[in-house]
Amino acid sequence: MPVACKNKRRRSHKLSAARLDRLILRDKDKPGSLLGILEEAQKLNKYKYLPEETLVYIAEKTSVPLSQVYSVVTFYSFFNLQPQGEHTITVCRGTACHTRGSKDILDMIRTGLNIDGDSDESVPVTTEDNKFTVRTVACIGQCALAPVAEIDGKVLSRITREKIRKILKSGYSAEKK
Amino acid sequence: MKVLNTENLRKNREKGLQSIISGGVRVAVGMGTCGIGNGAEEIYRALKGSPHRTGDVHVVKTGCFGFCAEEPLVNVHIPGKPLVILHRVILKDVPDIIKWVMGGKIPLDKALCRIEEWDHLTGKIIYGRGMEDVPLWDEIPFFKGQDKIVLRNCGLIDPEDITEYAAVGGYSCLQKVLAENKPESVIEEIKKAGLRGRGGAGFPTGIKWELMRQSPGSPKYIICNADEGDPGAYMNRNEIESDPHSLLEGMAIGAFATGASEGIIYVRAEYPLAVKRLRKAVKDAGDCGFLGKSIFGSEFSFIINVVEGAGAFVCGEETALISSLEGKSGRPSPRPPFPAQKGYKGKPTNINNVETWYNITAIISGGWKRFRKTGTGKSPGTKVFSLVGKVANTGLVELPLGMSLSTLVYGIGGGSDKKIKAVQSGGPSGGCIPAELFETPVDYESLAAIGAIMGSGGMVVMDEDNCMVDVAKYFVEFTARESCGKCVPCREGLFRAMEILKNLTAGKGSESDLALLEDLGTVIKDTALCGLGQTGPNPVLTTLKYFMEEYLAHIKGMCPAKVCPELIRYEILEKKCIGYTVCARNCPQNAITGGKKKAHNIIQEKCVKCGICLEVCKFGAVKKI
Repeated sequence: MPVACKNKRRRSHKLSAARLDRLILRDKDKPGSLLGILEEAQKLNKYKYLPEETLVYIAEKTSVPLSQVYSVVTFYSFFNLQPQGEHTITVCRGTACHTRGSKDILDMIRTGLNIDGDSDESVPVTTEDNKFTVRTVACIGQCALAPVAEIDGKVLSRITREKIRKILKSGYSAEKK
Repeated sequence: MKVLNTENLRKNREKGLQSIISGGVRVAVGMGTCGIGNGAEEIYRALKGSPHRTGDVHVVKTGCFGFCAEEPLVNVHIPGKPLVILHRVILKDVPDIIKWVMGGKIPLDKALCRIEEWDHLTGKIIYGRGMEDVPLWDEIPFFKGQDKIVLRNCGLIDPEDITEYAAVGGYSCLQKVLAENKPESVIEEIKKAGLRGRGGAGFPTGIKWELMRQSPGSPKYIICNADEGDPGAYMNRNEIESDPHSLLEGMAIGAFATGASEGIIYVRAEYPLAVKRLRKAVKDAGDCGFLGKSIFGSEFSFIINVVEGAGAFVCGEETALISSLEGKSGRPSPRPPFPAQKGYKGKPTNINNVETWYNITAIISGGWKRFRKTGTGKSPGTKVFSLVGKVANTGLVELPLGMSLSTLVYGIGGGSDKKIKAVQSGGPSGGCIPAELFETPVDYESLAAIGAIMGSGGMVVMDEDNCMVDVAKYFVEFTARESCGKCVPCREGLFRAMEILKNLTAGKGSESDLALLEDLGTVIKDTALCGLGQTGPNPVLTTLKYFMEEYLAHIKGMCPAKVCPELIRYEILEKKCIGYTVCARNCPQNAITGGKKKAHNIIQEKCVKCGICLEVCKFGAVKKI
């Protein structure tokens, strides 16, 4: 899946080989191991993405063809091929959230962060200053509290544009979590 | 080994019972994801850290009791008295709760309902009698008519404590089955119970198991499909978060019956708490000897691996799921061969949905006859629905199959202030059922007959403010995006359908588009490779069938629900506008003119119809037309 990223600085923070090796050794023969290894590698990356060298390394160590590794990371929406922003805002686009106005909330966040309104909403976008990545998720499973969004994994239930506006205005930073 | 496992079970049971009913005052905070999203974590910490709390008041975590709209829920049990569920608890209530329970009393102003005794189906817990001024749990509208079979333990035990699961009879069914050592009779029991797959398609579970048992090949695998991708459905998340051990026990019994030695749970990565609790449960069960080698001294060995999905809806399809487990992209493959013949790594594999597995222990513990007492002849048992959208009472509802939709929407859901228009059942594979058909019984056949499906059990209620053409567009956008691209009808067909719907919602459609849309939908349904494509057109076909007038209105350039941006506009009523300027200040497009105390005006060319002006104006001066 293509990931728009306007950040031109090269951010290649590969994992230490030893860490990855341990991971691969532990999971190699388990079912779904490739997904697990890639997920873990992405989690351990400072910018929550999978740089090319990590993919190459994983392919070599697991003896899975690089083409297959690439096919997997581009198939599943969970994997990022571009560095992610300091904070990630995830807007749930499930049915319950949709009927309760999640599209308006997403649009408002994107407008507020100067993100091109015509781009595909399902493609994660990172702001130029690298502060925020805005992405959508098919459903967080918080449907009774719709509409919901997540900021850095913390679930915000029954959000309104007013609440989001305040959060964005406050210049959301790690200390305010 | 046998002595050790059995002894372990007994010890665990005693310890668990002590903490559930007899170990002093128990304050349990409902900490499923929905509770936590509503502040349960802070409440738990405040209760636990309260300086006035003494050692005989235990604060524990529990799962979700299902009434999500009333979260956070806190259960209070004082030995000898009924368990009382407090609702909408906020941080400020914490000191009072502690003060009251320390004095042996319950803060009644926060009480939602009481439970005197509870049948966990594998065991009974008697809490205590009295406190008649608090309604019994099944007397309040949301729970009236519910029958908690799958959710039997949810919200009442600590999901992270294996001893509490043992206390309500957990792992005793596995013990019984292994002691009897007759796998065929387990399959027979499931067949007689008439249990059907709860993932949506409704295939008889017993027959599936029999095919797997008869299939040659070794090793055999069983898989729990917890890739709950349907937007609008979250029952599996809650079941796992609140009661992970029931799933493991059900799977172990299934593995024994079908001759499998390894189990895999494929769970969505979007459910981190479910994954965490599941991993802990697998570890704890392994440590106690309920999973692993020679379980309860028998020759049966069984291990479970937890695998996290990576955000692909199509992986809920069983062949795609297997492909994903094998480290490939999740693309489905044609059946036959069925997974029972050639599944994971080419070996016989049996896949069941989370909820199907939860029914296994319930059937084994009370026998097929008890199970058949609930539901209909063709669809016995219950189904858990996530009742969400435009109803007053949202949450997880477990109902006997065959109940009417109106019971669900108006009885349990409590209706809505506005006119309810439809229920969307079964997610992107399901259909929109209009209010006129709400007397339809909810079972596999009846829903299929009106073009919807039961699916995983998502029930999203829609009212007059929801545009059905927009809903159809929303679902087709979703399925088109999630299409794996392998077969042409799904990849190209859904994409074309999406284009037509986009035109329609922009007021650029024509009547011939509607015929084309219907034609296209039927072709995709008939020719797509897997369930995603075969059911993907359902939302379009059902809305065309039941809400044709809305499609026709869009062709004429009107959106009756005033949802589609291209067909609406915002205007400021000069008479009502006092020149407060709040709309102009908040307009992201600077499309509003007019100064302080002067009537404002929207420049239509600049307006993107986000509706913020309507939201912020306190004087009712902005109107959507």
